[in-house]
Amino acid sequence: MDPSALNSPELQNLLAQEKEKAMISEMISKLTSSCWDKCITGSPGSKFSSSEANCLTNCAQRYMDMSLVIMKRLHQ
Amino acid sequence: MDSFSSPSSGSPPKLSTDDIMTQLRTQLEQAYAEEFLETVRGKCFDKCITKPGSSLSGSESSCISRCIDRYMEATGIIGKALFNQRH
Repeated sequence: MDPSALNSPELQNLLAQEKEKAMISEMISKLTSSCWDKCITGSPGSKFSSSEANCLTNCAQRYMDMSLVIMKRLHQ
Repeated sequence: MDSFSSPSSGSPPKLSTDDIMTQLRTQLEQAYAEEFLETVRGKCFDKCITKPGSSLSGSESSCISRCIDRYMEATGIIGKALFNQRH
């Protein structure tokens, strides 16, 4: 292909958006895996108990809190 | 040389930005789907096949089915939790 097309600002912008979407997707994927291990301790039922569902939500939110703590600590 | 490439000339077709992005998104979706499948296989094997027998029992099969549904649901819960509560 025409090599100069790779430098187009339009393409670079679209690639940057896809990269961000991919990073978010990857974070959800890893976090779901960890939080499943932490929260779903027994055999999977036909629906989540409220404690399982709450645990999953808490898990994601505490991860975000932790992320902030780490960033603040590293910027001191 | 005329300005039209003949099939035998070997010059590559010009890819538009749309073509590139479409290919990229398709490949990304395939990669996500494979990764998801691999994860679900691992989790549900651990949860449901605790004592491997000579074939899949009915309770193992139902467990696997519930496990897939719950894992998909868990993915949704995590996604929502991350993006409904912005700090």
